[in-house]
Amino acid sequence: MSAFELPTSALPRTEAYLRAVLANDSRAALRVVEDELAAGTSAALLQLFLVVPAQHEIGRLWQDNQITVAQEHLATAISQLVLSRLYSRLPRAEANGFSVLVACVEGEQHDMGARIGADFLEMAGFDVRFLGANVQPAKLIEALQGHLPTLLALSASLHFHLSGLRAAIAAARTVAPLLPIVVGGALLQTAPRLADELGVKAFGARADELAFTCRQLLGLEAARAREVESA
Amino acid sequence: MSEHSPAASAFRGHSREFQLLCDGASTILWLDERAQKALHVAVGDSLRARAAPGTQDKVHRLFMQAEASTLGSEAWEVVLEVSGQPLVVALYASTLIEHGADSKVAITGSLVPSDYGAALGQVSANLSEMATLHRETDRQQRELLRRHEELVRLHAQLQESYRGVVALHHEIGEKDDSLRRASEIKTRLVANVSHEFRTPLNSILGLTKLLLSRADGDLTDEQETQLNFVRQSAESLYALVNDMLDLSKTEAERVALRTHTFAADNFFTSLRGMLRPLANDPAVELHFEPPVGVADLDTDEGKLAQILRNLVANALKFTERGEVRVSIQQNADDTLSLCVSDTGIGIPYAEQKRVFEEFYQADNPLQRVHKGTGLGLTLSQNLAVRLGGSLELVSEPGHGSTFTLKIPRYHPEAREVAALVERSQVVAPGHQPVLVVEDDRQTLLLYEKYLRGSGFQVIPARSLDEARAALKRVKPAAVVLDIMLDGEASWSFLHDLKANEATRDVPALVVTVTNREERARALGADEFFMKPMEREWLLNKLKAMAGRQELNTLLVIDDDKVARYLVKKTLADSPYRVIEAADGNEGVLLAKKHLPDVIFLDFVMPEMSAFDVLDELKRDPATRNIPVVIYTSKNLAEEERRRLEQEASAILPKQSLSREIAIARIREALEKAGIRGAKGDLSP
Repeated sequence: MSAFELPTSALPRTEAYLRAVLANDSRAALRVVEDELAAGTSAALLQLFLVVPAQHEIGRLWQDNQITVAQEHLATAISQLVLSRLYSRLPRAEANGFSVLVACVEGEQHDMGARIGADFLEMAGFDVRFLGANVQPAKLIEALQGHLPTLLALSASLHFHLSGLRAAIAAARTVAPLLPIVVGGALLQTAPRLADELGVKAFGARADELAFTCRQLLGLEAARAREVESA
Repeated sequence: MSEHSPAASAFRGHSREFQLLCDGASTILWLDERAQKALHVAVGDSLRARAAPGTQDKVHRLFMQAEASTLGSEAWEVVLEVSGQPLVVALYASTLIEHGADSKVAITGSLVPSDYGAALGQVSANLSEMATLHRETDRQQRELLRRHEELVRLHAQLQESYRGVVALHHEIGEKDDSLRRASEIKTRLVANVSHEFRTPLNSILGLTKLLLSRADGDLTDEQETQLNFVRQSAESLYALVNDMLDLSKTEAERVALRTHTFAADNFFTSLRGMLRPLANDPAVELHFEPPVGVADLDTDEGKLAQILRNLVANALKFTERGEVRVSIQQNADDTLSLCVSDTGIGIPYAEQKRVFEEFYQADNPLQRVHKGTGLGLTLSQNLAVRLGGSLELVSEPGHGSTFTLKIPRYHPEAREVAALVERSQVVAPGHQPVLVVEDDRQTLLLYEKYLRGSGFQVIPARSLDEARAALKRVKPAAVVLDIMLDGEASWSFLHDLKANEATRDVPALVVTVTNREERARALGADEFFMKPMEREWLLNKLKAMAGRQELNTLLVIDDDKVARYLVKKTLADSPYRVIEAADGNEGVLLAKKHLPDVIFLDFVMPEMSAFDVLDELKRDPATRNIPVVIYTSKNLAEEERRRLEQEASAILPKQSLSREIAIARIREALEKAGIRGAKGDLSP
C-alpha cells in the first residue's frame, strides 16, 4: 500500500508519517512528529499539515478498498495518540475570557476534525469544552445548562448528518435562543445557503478557520485589525 | 450493530456467504435466499442506494471498476444499511458482461462478524474518550501551574512590601531614638545652664542689695536709680532661670512628688495670702470662692499652689477691670476642677492652642506692658500632667478667659505608694525584705513591680531618715540606694551602713545616673549600677547577695488534718517551712498571699477539686509558675493522670510519702519549673 496520493498542502514528511500509521507503528509515527518538532515545525502546523492530510488519505484508502475498517481504526488511534502528544506543546495565547462548547452532532462518529478545531480555539485563548463524537441533543442541552458558553461550535461532515445538525441547533435554541452557533465540516460547505436558513455561521473545513470565525463573531478580529492599523 | 440484528440471526448456523447478480448501475437482477434474509433487499433494489450514509461512493466505485474490468480478486469492504443499522459486508465481484446497459456483475458476499465490527467501534470510542481525558488532565495541570506562578508572584510582592515595612519601621525607630536623645540633651543643657546662671545671679542680687543698703558708703540719687535698674533686671532674669529650671525638671520627669493630705479651704487661705501682694489694682478684685463639699486632698500641695499662682498671676496681668475668680469643685469621679477665670482681654481663638507652647506670648498691648518669661503656662501644664491631670483653656476674646485644672483628688502614685508602705509594715512570710531608698514614687513602684513574685519584698524609704528608721525595725536582706537622693548625705548614709557593726553584712546596691562606681565601692557598696536598670539584672544580683539566707516555703493544701501533720513532720528540720490550708479556697488565697516556693496539693477534696485549684493558680500571673506537686491516695484514672501531668509538676502517692521521696520530688518539681533548682541544701 504505497501508491497513495497526498493533498498538496501536506508537509514533506507526511508520507513517512502515513506509512508508519498504516504499518501500525506508533513509535515510528511519533518519531516523525518529534523530528519535525525538533526541526522547528510548530505543533499547530503538524496538526494541520501532517495529521489531517494523513487522516484524509486513510479515509480515501478505505473508499478505494485499499485498507479495511480495522486498519482505518488502528490508524486513527495512532493519530489520536499523536494529537495528545502535540496538545501539551501547543503555543497558547493569553486567555481572552470567552468560552466555546465544541460538539459533534448526533450520528457524526468522526471527532478528529472537531478535536483539532477545539485545540486551535484553545491556542487562540478560548476556554474550550469538548463533548466529543455523536452528541445526543439531550446531552447538549445538559451541557449548555451546566455552563452557558459564549459560543457553540458544532461539527457535521456529511449530508446524512443534516437531521442531526437540525436537532442539535433546535436543542441549543431551547436553552439559549441567542447563543451564536458556528458549524464546521463538509456539510455546510457544500450547501452554503443552508447556513443562513439554519441561522448559524459556517466556516471552512480547516480547523484554524474555526478559531478565526469565532474571533470574528466576537469582534476580536476587528479589534486586532484596528491595533495593527494604529501601530 | 447488535448480535440480534436480523442479518446475524438469519445466518446463524449457516454459511456466511450469499450471492447476487447486479447490472452496471448496481440494480439487483437476482439474489439467493440468504442474500434476501441477510440484506433485506429484493430484485430491482439498488445496492448503492442501500449503502450506509457516507459510503455510497465506495459501492459506486466498485461497480465502476467492474464495468471497466479492472477488478482484482480482493474483497471489498462495504457498509450497507439494514433495518436502520450499518452492516459491514465483504464483497467479491466479477464481471460477467462488460459492455453498456447489458453489463452484469456477479457478487459473492460474506458478513464480517458483527462483534468484530462492534469491538472496533468501541475501541475507537474509548480511545477518543481517553484522548479527551488526557487533554483535561493536561489543562488542569496547566491551570495549577498558572496558579502556582501567581502565588509565587504574590509571595514575592508580599515579601517586598514586608521588607519595605521593616525598613520603614527601623527608620522610624532610629528617628524616634535620635529625637529622644536630642530632647534629653536639650533638657539637660537647659538644666545645667540654668543652674550655672543662678550662682552669679545670686552674687549680683546680693551685691546690689548690699550697695543699696549703703553699707559701703553713701550713693548719689543717680547711682541709686541705676542700681535699682540693675536689681530689677537681675530679678527678672532670676525668675526666668527658675522657670526654665522647673520646666526642664518636669520634662525630664525628675521633679519629685511630695504628697500629703490637706484640706481645700486651708489651701485656699494660704494661697490668698500668698497672692494678695499681686492684686494691688483697685479696679480688679481677686476673689476666692469658699470650697463647699470638697473632701481632703492627697497630692503635691506645693505643685498645685505653683500652678494656681501662675494662673492667677497671668489672669491679673491681662485684666484691667473686673475680677479674677478662683474656685474649686469636686466631681463625681473623685476628681477636682480648679478654675481661674477673669474678665480680661481674652485670647484670640487662633492663639488659644499655642499659649501652652514654650516662650509663646500672645501679641497684645498688655503683653508689652507686663513682661513675662513665656514659660508659666507650659510649666503649669507639665505640672498638671505630673499631678495626673490636665489643664484646659476656654476664652472669649474681649470677655475673658477661664483656665480649668482637673486633677485626681488622690494622686494615683501616692495611693499606690501608700499601699506599698502599708504592706511593708509586715514582712510577708517566706519573703526577704529589701530596703529601697528612693525618693521618686514611680521608681519605687517600678522596684516593687520588678521584685513581685520573686520572694523579695520592697521596704520603701523615701528619705534617708525613713531609711534609718526602717533599719531599726527590720534587718533587710539587701539595701538598694539611690545616691542622687540627697547628694553628700546619701554617701554618708552608705558609709554609716557599712561602718555599723549591726548592718555591716547587709549587702548594698548603689544606683545612680552618673558613673561613680569607684566612690561607691570605696564606701563599701557591694554592687553598683547605673540607671536604667533591668529586672533580670536586679533579681540576679539580689539573689546572689541574699541567697545564702533564703528560706523555702511550702504550702500544703489538704482537707485531712492528719495528712497535713504528716507532711509537716516529714519536712521538719528540712529547709522547708510548711504553711497549711484546709481547703482549695484557702489554699489559693494563701498561695497568692505568701507566694510559696512549692505547693503540695491533695487530689481529692470535698469542695474545690484539684483541677479547680490548678486553674485558679494558673490564672494569676503571680502564682502561675509555682510548682505544684499532686499527692494523692487515689488510684488515678488514665484521663486524670494525663491532665495532671500537663498541669502539675509532679505526682506523689500518699502511701509512699517519706522524707527522702518528698524532698526529691520537691527538687524535681523546682527544677522542672526552672526555678532555683540549685538553692539550699535539700539533702535529707
